[in-house]
Amino acid sequence: MNIFSSADPAERLLASVQPEAAKIPAHIHTDPEIYRLEMKRVFGRVWLFVAHESEIPERGNWVVRDMGEQNVIVSRGEDGQLRVFLNSCRHRGMKLACEDRGTGKSWRCPYHGFTYNNSGNFVGAPYQREAYPEGIDREGLQLIEARCESYAGLVFATFNANAEPLDDFLGELRWYLDILVGRAEFEVVGVPQRWIVPTAWKLPAENFASDAYHTVTTHAFLAKLGLVKGVDFGKIGYHVVPAGGHGLGIGTQEEGPWYPAELRAEYESRLSLDQLALMDRIKNFHGNVFPNMSFLIPNVIEIAGKRVTGMTIRQWQPIAPDQIQALSWHLVEKNAPDWWKELGRKTYVQTFGSSGMFEQDDTENWELQTRNSLSSLSFDEPVLLDYRMGMGGVPMTDFAGPGEVYEGKYSEAAARGFYRRWLDLMLAEK
Amino acid sequence: MTAVSQRVGVPLETRLAVEDFLVDEALLLDDRRFDEWFELFTDDLVYQAPVRVTAKRGHEEIVDTIFHFDESKQSLGLRVRRLGTDVAWAEDPPSVTRHYVSNVRVTQADAPGELVVRAYVLLYRSRGDRGLHDMISYVRWDVLRPSGSSFQIARRRAVLDQAVLGTKNLAIFL
Repeated sequence: MNIFSSADPAERLLASVQPEAAKIPAHIHTDPEIYRLEMKRVFGRVWLFVAHESEIPERGNWVVRDMGEQNVIVSRGEDGQLRVFLNSCRHRGMKLACEDRGTGKSWRCPYHGFTYNNSGNFVGAPYQREAYPEGIDREGLQLIEARCESYAGLVFATFNANAEPLDDFLGELRWYLDILVGRAEFEVVGVPQRWIVPTAWKLPAENFASDAYHTVTTHAFLAKLGLVKGVDFGKIGYHVVPAGGHGLGIGTQEEGPWYPAELRAEYESRLSLDQLALMDRIKNFHGNVFPNMSFLIPNVIEIAGKRVTGMTIRQWQPIAPDQIQALSWHLVEKNAPDWWKELGRKTYVQTFGSSGMFEQDDTENWELQTRNSLSSLSFDEPVLLDYRMGMGGVPMTDFAGPGEVYEGKYSEAAARGFYRRWLDLMLAEK
Repeated sequence: MTAVSQRVGVPLETRLAVEDFLVDEALLLDDRRFDEWFELFTDDLVYQAPVRVTAKRGHEEIVDTIFHFDESKQSLGLRVRRLGTDVAWAEDPPSVTRHYVSNVRVTQADAPGELVVRAYVLLYRSRGDRGLHDMISYVRWDVLRPSGSSFQIARRRAVLDQAVLGTKNLAIFL
């Protein structure tokens, strides 16, 4: 079978991507036609993370982000409502906002001066009466707007009018997002770090969704430096496969709550008893919101007698089949004591993000996987990669949270779930 | 050019000593003598690289609440120790680096004897088999404290010249 002889990229996928048989071909990461198709069928159809509400707290605040290939403005209007607009003037398609963020009631196109308020309405153009003596079609000049909904402070958007409500899209994952970012009022510290990584976007997404096993080898330095007791710090806990292609892993410890006691009351007011009980046992917590938003509470480590970690969310923003822009936000509980904020920020910078000691090694893997994915395109047969870990595992029946949950973190079930959702979207013409 | 007219000169020999120090520091980094390099920093070190954003003229371009590096002597030491293990994959095989230090301006700091040193750095980084390299440009403010016949670095602030970094990680030192 020469799968690459088919002119139809969807046919090539159907013939080679087999999540339930635990076989995923390497070429799907970098085939330019598959990339074109997933920009439409994945990024064009599902909810995409665009911002945290704390980044635009005041009326008039806005930030510029990307949704797949669309550059958008995420704005809090004069009425306090969050809206997401294509960053493109209705006159000639020029960018309205050329900076990363700002505050104001309107955007004025640098090309011809068409101006829009932050509800997306056209409000005027220079010499309007002379240029358009017959009148101007204000309604037709409304900015192109995406649907925008939030969950626990996370702002998502989609240009798909037929997408299910965000709550349904997140589904079973919400129980876990409550723990991650719903447990307290969170704020983004500063702005996201951004950098270019020569990787296909699915590799980091899959890694955060499903891969606790790599920590033994990729991040072996942690044990070598004595920051954890053994290299198997990523083994004990749960592997979670919520419906919808999302995935997460929860590392656990039994030494009790690891966060400042001052935050306990706020957590109690926002979490169920089951969620709180799990919260107290967290050692690390990682996952991916399908398709490309990941989150992480890095392995809690002890520094100067204090247990610390530095939470992060990120977006793996595709910019080419073999390249992403990584956006990495650090978040902290708004009402946390100063020492927790300070140590959390330092720990985040040291472990993850652009210079993070963990992240460095991850980027190395993703880059070289991407290179081999590119080379696999020149074979007649697909290069099938093995995703069998945890096949035949029996889900727990006594776990409090929703989704398929497996005891122990070494599994690839969430990766199989990720590729199943991806394949379903890629094969669906509507 | 306010900054230039306000420049408080230092003796020529001080400036030469500072430039020698910076060149020696770059040599230790580029020769990967990280343990010796680490000794150049004071125990109360603050080593930070804030994050740049693309902003309109007149608006803040540097965000000083989040960083690419946010180090104390202790945390910088951890990074150095990590490079000494046999599992620091991101830098093993290591990048070939060359820190080009130029445009050095030396002024007196507020604390007696301390110097503020502003310099441009062009960091060439090459790794892998594609004949490619990254050019990482930044401006550096150091506070140097006299130590014996030379100096130690008590503060380092490195402001990278990209809002979106074009290098895959900062597994190297600025």
